[in-house]
Amino acid sequence: MSANSRKRIAVFWASSCGGCDISLLEIGPRLLDVAAAADIVFWPCATDFKYHDVEKLPDGSIDVCLFNGGVRNSEQHEVALLLRRKSRVLVAYGACAADGGIPALANLVSRRAILDAVYHANLSTDNPAATEPRPLCAAPAGELHLPEFYGQVYRLCDVVDVDHVLPGCPPQAERVWETLKALLDGQAPEAGADGRVGCSPRTVCDECPREKKLVRVEAFRRHHEFRPEPGWCLLEQGLLCMGPATRGGCGALCIRADMRCEGCYGPPAGVADQGASMIGALSGVLDPASEEKAYALVSQIPDPAGTFYRFSLPSGLLKARRQDGGNP
Amino acid sequence: MSGGNGNGSVRVGVFICHCGGNIADVVDVEAAAQAAARMPGVAFSSTHMFCCSDPGQAMIVQAIRDHGLNRVVVAACSPSLHEATFRRAAAHAGLNPFLCLHANIREQVSWVVRDRAQATRKAVRLIRAAVARSAHLAPLERRRLPIRPSVLVIGGGVAGLTAARDLASRGIEVTLIESSPFLGGRLAQLYRIYPTGQFARDVLNRLIREVAGHPKVKIYTNAQLWSSEGFIGDFRTTVRLIPRGVTEEPADLQAVLDACPEEAVDQFNLGLAKRKAIYRPYDGCYPPLPAIDWRTCTRCGACVEAAGGRGIQLDQEPEQIEIRSGAIVLAVGLDTYPLRHGEYGYGKFPEVITLAQLNRLLDPTGPTGGRVEIRGRPVRRVGFLHCVGSLQRKGVHPPMRDGRINEYCSRVCCTTTMHTAAELKSRFPELQVYDFHEHIRTYGRKHENYYDRVCEQGVVFIRFDPARPPRVESDPKGEWPLVVRTVDRLTSGEELEVPLDLLVLATGLVARDMKRLIDLYRCSVGPDRFLLEVHPKLRPVELASSGLFLAGSVQGPMDIAEATAAAAAAASKAAALVCAGSIELDPYVARVDETRCSGCRICLQACPFGAIARREETRQAVVNEALCMGCGTCAALCPCNAIQQCGFDDRQIGAELEALLAPEPELAAVSSQEAFDGKAQGR
Amino acid sequence: MERRREDRQDGGSGWEPRIIGFLCQWCSYTGADNAGTARIQYPPNVDVIKVMCSGRVDPELVLAALARGADGVLVLGCHPGDCHYISGNHKTMVRMPLVRSVLRDFGIEEGRFRHDWVSAAEGEKFARVVAEMTEEVRRLGPLRWPQRLQESGFRTCAAPAPCGEAVR
Repeated sequence: MSANSRKRIAVFWASSCGGCDISLLEIGPRLLDVAAAADIVFWPCATDFKYHDVEKLPDGSIDVCLFNGGVRNSEQHEVALLLRRKSRVLVAYGACAADGGIPALANLVSRRAILDAVYHANLSTDNPAATEPRPLCAAPAGELHLPEFYGQVYRLCDVVDVDHVLPGCPPQAERVWETLKALLDGQAPEAGADGRVGCSPRTVCDECPREKKLVRVEAFRRHHEFRPEPGWCLLEQGLLCMGPATRGGCGALCIRADMRCEGCYGPPAGVADQGASMIGALSGVLDPASEEKAYALVSQIPDPAGTFYRFSLPSGLLKARRQDGGNP
Repeated sequence: MSGGNGNGSVRVGVFICHCGGNIADVVDVEAAAQAAARMPGVAFSSTHMFCCSDPGQAMIVQAIRDHGLNRVVVAACSPSLHEATFRRAAAHAGLNPFLCLHANIREQVSWVVRDRAQATRKAVRLIRAAVARSAHLAPLERRRLPIRPSVLVIGGGVAGLTAARDLASRGIEVTLIESSPFLGGRLAQLYRIYPTGQFARDVLNRLIREVAGHPKVKIYTNAQLWSSEGFIGDFRTTVRLIPRGVTEEPADLQAVLDACPEEAVDQFNLGLAKRKAIYRPYDGCYPPLPAIDWRTCTRCGACVEAAGGRGIQLDQEPEQIEIRSGAIVLAVGLDTYPLRHGEYGYGKFPEVITLAQLNRLLDPTGPTGGRVEIRGRPVRRVGFLHCVGSLQRKGVHPPMRDGRINEYCSRVCCTTTMHTAAELKSRFPELQVYDFHEHIRTYGRKHENYYDRVCEQGVVFIRFDPARPPRVESDPKGEWPLVVRTVDRLTSGEELEVPLDLLVLATGLVARDMKRLIDLYRCSVGPDRFLLEVHPKLRPVELASSGLFLAGSVQGPMDIAEATAAAAAAASKAAALVCAGSIELDPYVARVDETRCSGCRICLQACPFGAIARREETRQAVVNEALCMGCGTCAALCPCNAIQQCGFDDRQIGAELEALLAPEPELAAVSSQEAFDGKAQGR
Repeated sequence: MERRREDRQDGGSGWEPRIIGFLCQWCSYTGADNAGTARIQYPPNVDVIKVMCSGRVDPELVLAALARGADGVLVLGCHPGDCHYISGNHKTMVRMPLVRSVLRDFGIEEGRFRHDWVSAAEGEKFARVVAEMTEEVRRLGPLRWPQRLQESGFRTCAAPAPCGEAVR
């Protein structure tokens, strides 16, 4: 990293949990190298710059912006537009910015249902006046503005153009470092066929140390029900491991800790829909004797869409539940 | 305009067929041709009265040459009729035949939609989809595989022997393997066979003579299927040869048999007799050498001593041999229905036997020397009970061990029963014979004669109610060994009590336990557990896995004549295959993109043909194209989209899908005056 | 010249259900031909895409059809046990219930997705299934998934299946 031309970097946290910021800290002492090479001009979680500080920067003057989180409200949308304008390289950083992540599972319920659950039909909420947040309301002191709560959660690339996508929940510190280092050095980070960076061109299965016995899955099981046999493919043991349909890059971390892959690195390269990809894979390992048994087997999966699209709902083909109900 | 996705040079020709009036009476083919002319990538569109006719094909060939077409879309009848025709025409013009696509606007449009506007719109949609798809087509080559000119026949019963004989007579090398020590299968156990009344042994011996004496035939008995590799054209089957124990005919066979201290149930005589551990099922069997039943033999050496120390070896080890063949004929036959203890009194009363057992009793060389007697007691009244283990009904018949019931008709038992009853009545006219049936299906040529004959002979027919099958009990008065209680639907549903000396159960036929065979060769199995042909009419003796043929009752219950016919059919199909020297296979194989395959091995498990393996160095999937049958299942389930099926890849199907769902342009109404007058529109 | 018939797409007065049918070549496609040979009339709303085996029907194709504007999807294969490819349709047999379970979560009515078995001889069944499905989808009305996505501001990718998501 050359120190003579100081770079500017920004980090922002939109609709996400903050784990991506932690993951950035996880690069450890190398943060000092980053600090040596670059000024952090904006990082709400670590520094005290405000939006108007960013607005004052010339357009395109931020060299690298790591934007984590999806876009759920108008504030996040505005900041996304702002950071896009100010940044030369905008990185959708982490599962939520890349593929919607867990917050985007809210796309399986309507905006109305979310407001009802939070402000009305909730045992721990006492709201006799049935007040709901509104973007605009009159107060004695004048007009009060609140960000508008959107109908859906969007990926960053739904609202602005993105230069790189770095998936993972959170992205692994090593991958983050490699990518950041390349960007600060002014190089293009190594990218897969679909332009994603900081991940493997293959799936988690490629990194998984477990072996297959090539047996059929007779029934689905869950983690609390048994202890998986070491060394043996978790999917074959009946755990709904998303490894086959998930982009590698994490090094099969969860699987090494006996936990099934939940799919946080998003769909494999060249795959449009992670859920469809997993359904395809499952159809190869299940072998029910009859249609009734097939339905019985499928009924053992609690929350199918939430399982197959846990981190990638808006990246899939259907993206969100229809808001006008439907009558399933 | 040009075809999309970087394929700028795509020039599609669209040819729309009137099919006389079959299409043009409903679909406005001229409007469709005009619409086609405006589709992206289309360089030429035209109609013809009959595209499949010689002039029609000539027009296609000419247009390809004149307009430099590199894709052809023919909108006509179903591709099952003329896809090959138009591909040939395309090839004639120098185009790869797989760059020619078919849009089915007759069977799936003009014949099923009456409304002209609707039919035309649909036809245009299908043409647009074919045009869009055609842009993504790539030339494909049919695979050509050499075929080894030899056939392995599995099973040495009448079907296997017939197939072996027919193949050998065409000069094809045949290896016949039989799992038991003797050839002949069930035919050897029969006595006289319908519809000729010949002795089964005579038919069998002639067949064995023809096969065993043939220089092109190699026979292995005591041969068990061990493993199988390879595929159509070059199957490599490993067979384990269990030693016979006897290498040379003993000078005094009887002395050797007498010397053996171990006895076993004589399976050949269906449990009606006992035999020694060293045995021969009957005189005149083939091979004539006795064999040792290793499950019974204790290796005491008494037989060796009686044989003077020569010709019997008790310490031989099994041997494995590999048999290579271009095709395989499966002729492993079937089993009889496994009666439960006490089912219709079987096993409970010695006077209840099966039809097959009765056949052994009628055989003068059989265990009773041809006398029909039970424990030495002569028989006066005999009953036959039909459909034991056939036409079973849920709730009436308890399921078999595997939880299933046999709902089908076993086909051969009715005629066998009539034939056997006739034989009984003519040999023992004083016998009284009763026939308990639900239906009588003497369906074959001359089969009904047996029914007529037993009617004349005075057999009494009693028709039972399948919901309340007859019950077999002991005679409370003790006068007769058995009493059959049943309702008779031929009268007025009267309750009858028929005392009998002997009850013969016409047991049905069931598939053998073929698990090993099914696993080794990946056979399709029908719901009745018999092996399943590709199509009952179009490809009745072929299995879906190429190079495998079905001979006889491995496919379902058959009588001797039918099994022979099926075996002859299988032999001629197998002969046609191996004599061709090589075979062409469809090019719709799966291919693995190694930059994407992550080695999850889900495809390996899912491939119905075992055509996918893992290359250990890269841990990636690799398709054996000779084994791939082109179903595309792996392409659908590969989670990385690393597998694509040639001719049906994601881009091709995706383009078709998108074109079908695109907004529909308004069709220009074409009046008959301004129609093309058959003129082609080029540009 | 190419005035788009958006009204038909948008459920205007002239709306007609658009249904994509994936048919296996050996049984169901031949069954559909059989309906034709027997001149059985049925609604023209199911557009057929032929595949060699229903096992080829990638779940992604079903979702892509809906996402690209189909009002319904029909998947037909050989009856279980009759597959030309031994067990290709077994994969379909378990895959389609999985697809169904996901579609339910997206609020897509059951009637918009059907998978069934049609043999080469079952022309009448084919016609019946198409008629029933068309009727059901007509009752449910247009699905309008592409319009929904556009209205709610999602970006969709252009290529049908192997789309690298839009990254600048």
